[in-house]
Amino acid sequence: MADAPTIDLQEVSKTYRGRVHALRSVSLQVHPGEIFGLLGPNGAGKSTLVKIMMTVVRPTSAVGTVLGRPVGHKPTLARVGYLPEHHRFPQWLTGRQAIDFAGAMCKIPRGQRIRRTAELLDVVNMTDWASRRLGTYSKGMQQRIGLATSLINDPELVLLDEPTDGVDPVGRREIREVLVRLRDEGKSVLVNSHILSELELFCSRVAILVQGTVVRQGSVESLTRESCRYEITVDGTVDQIAPLSGLGSVTTESLEGTAVRLTLQTRDPSDVQPIIDELRRNEFTIRQVAPTRDSLEELFMSSVTDPATGQTLQPGAGRSGRTHVTEFSGEATSEAPPPPPPPPSSSSASGETEPGGAS
Amino acid sequence: MTQTLALLHAAYRELNARKLFWITLALSGIVIVAMAALGINEKGLTVFWWQFDLALVNTQFMPVDVFYKIIFAELVVPYWLAWIAAILGLVSTSSIFPDMISGGSIDVLLSKPISRSRLFLTRYFTGLLFMTLQVTVFATLAFLVIGIRGGVWEPWIFISIPLVVLFFSYLFCFCALMGLLTRSTIASLLLTMLFWFFIFGINSFEGITMAGETANELSLELSQADLDEAVEMGDPIEVTEPLSERLATDEENLASWRFWNLIGYGIKAALPKTDETIELLSRTLRDKADMAAEDERESQGRLFGVTQRISMREFEERMTDKRDARGLFWIIGSSLIFEFILLAFACWLFSRRDF
Repeated sequence: MADAPTIDLQEVSKTYRGRVHALRSVSLQVHPGEIFGLLGPNGAGKSTLVKIMMTVVRPTSAVGTVLGRPVGHKPTLARVGYLPEHHRFPQWLTGRQAIDFAGAMCKIPRGQRIRRTAELLDVVNMTDWASRRLGTYSKGMQQRIGLATSLINDPELVLLDEPTDGVDPVGRREIREVLVRLRDEGKSVLVNSHILSELELFCSRVAILVQGTVVRQGSVESLTRESCRYEITVDGTVDQIAPLSGLGSVTTESLEGTAVRLTLQTRDPSDVQPIIDELRRNEFTIRQVAPTRDSLEELFMSSVTDPATGQTLQPGAGRSGRTHVTEFSGEATSEAPPPPPPPPSSSSASGETEPGGAS
Repeated sequence: MTQTLALLHAAYRELNARKLFWITLALSGIVIVAMAALGINEKGLTVFWWQFDLALVNTQFMPVDVFYKIIFAELVVPYWLAWIAAILGLVSTSSIFPDMISGGSIDVLLSKPISRSRLFLTRYFTGLLFMTLQVTVFATLAFLVIGIRGGVWEPWIFISIPLVVLFFSYLFCFCALMGLLTRSTIASLLLTMLFWFFIFGINSFEGITMAGETANELSLELSQADLDEAVEMGDPIEVTEPLSERLATDEENLASWRFWNLIGYGIKAALPKTDETIELLSRTLRDKADMAAEDERESQGRLFGVTQRISMREFEERMTDKRDARGLFWIIGSSLIFEFILLAFACWLFSRRDF
């Protein structure tokens, strides 16, 4: 982490036609040897940000570097691998030809391309299909070939937009293993994905983009630190628990059957001991005591929830005059203040931010 | 260079994958077979083993090699290569740019270390590959037919390759720009056809007005000669006055034709010269390859309109002189300027656009 950032973006903005603010002063750092997750609802600007780094979209303003060169520096792209979200290679090419073409476009000599193509076909488990046309491939197979094309130039930085889209669970695991291997080789990987549980498995750090603004950035651990708590499950009802005097600032919640969950916002186990004592003193049966914290999905949901209304923010880029983003604008650091409390039953509300369409 | 070769290779694979490329090539083969099936002897035409006795088309009027060169330069190239094959070429290539800039496809290309302008221009030139391959195969086969059947190995036949590709490039640059603007294959193809039709209309208009101008020039010269002769002979005013009136009418008509021709010429000057570029083939073969036939039959013909005083041959010679007076720069240079402007605009557009 002491090395210079692979991606160091400062104040990247993109406004379409002077009205649609796809990105507003986005700052973001990705370091060598880390897998960085870029999260956000549809239309948040994730793909636009990646496209700006890959020169597919021209920024309205951008200060920063990719692999130490200014954003938009074309020769640098020879050291970057990129898998677009809905990539489309010519359907008349075979898998091998598609990878070879991508290599040639990165100016890799023919001999090296042939060797590397064979290696990558093996890595993505497509050797048996290498001589068939892409038109005959399933979505998952095309995705595997897409991943191979993005790695043909042995990149120092890999940007993947929804890499596991359409891939079966076995393929997802394989892709995950490839990403982890890249990380272990000291390469940087930036992944755009909606599959938060998956990102949680391998991302060193994440940034959450909402309406063109980074509202959270940091390691999952640091971002969820403030949500650390202890949960104690006991037999009984809320009415039976409520009269107890020694529970302090515990919150209670009825569970199915005759059980109650007590939650104490603390990271210190010694804070929990008096509560356990009090419960035992009153002869409650303690079923479970567990330290817990928000999942990435809960963190994500709290980031895309308007704290004033408790409603999830509308998908799409911010337009002039919309004010949702300003409420988050001061939190765009790795040491972000605690997120607003998740709305009731937040853990099952993720579908509300997935109205379809690419972001 | 690796990138350029990769793009060319990909374009070749694309053509290979398109059935229309092979269909066009097969049709070209049929045209060549038809050309080879034709023959000429002292009695007339032959088609395969059938003999058609013709008084005006036989080896007394034109040698065998000239016959084949005329078929190639006046029929096969203008009608097959410059019309039907060109349309098939446009149908085949019009999707190049809409496909390239479609979502997912353009991301892959732009994320490579190649400048946008180079990517655009390379793709443009790979689009010309269709016509280049077609014409090269066609010209080679025609060269063999003329050599085997006509007994003359004429290398100037191969001038048709750059000329037809050049002609196709005038239309393809417009098609590329429309593809970028509309992002639609169908729209770009239809707009290109419309543009071609517009050029055809302007060419026809300019040709008609040039013919009118030429006929009236000849008529005016005859009227002037008649009047001069009458004055010289000391004819009375009853004779000279109608001649003077006719002269005045001819001058008036000529001024009118000149005006409209000037307008047609002015518009045409700014557009690519599709007809003239193809006609350069005939001109070249006439000048360099002895293609001219002894065509005396027209000498007695009289021109329509304009009191039928002008011989068709004189009129055609004057028209040919006028057309031949238009130099290479006017035909190819101005067309290339048009193409350059369109490509520069398309390239600028492509370089600035977000995808």
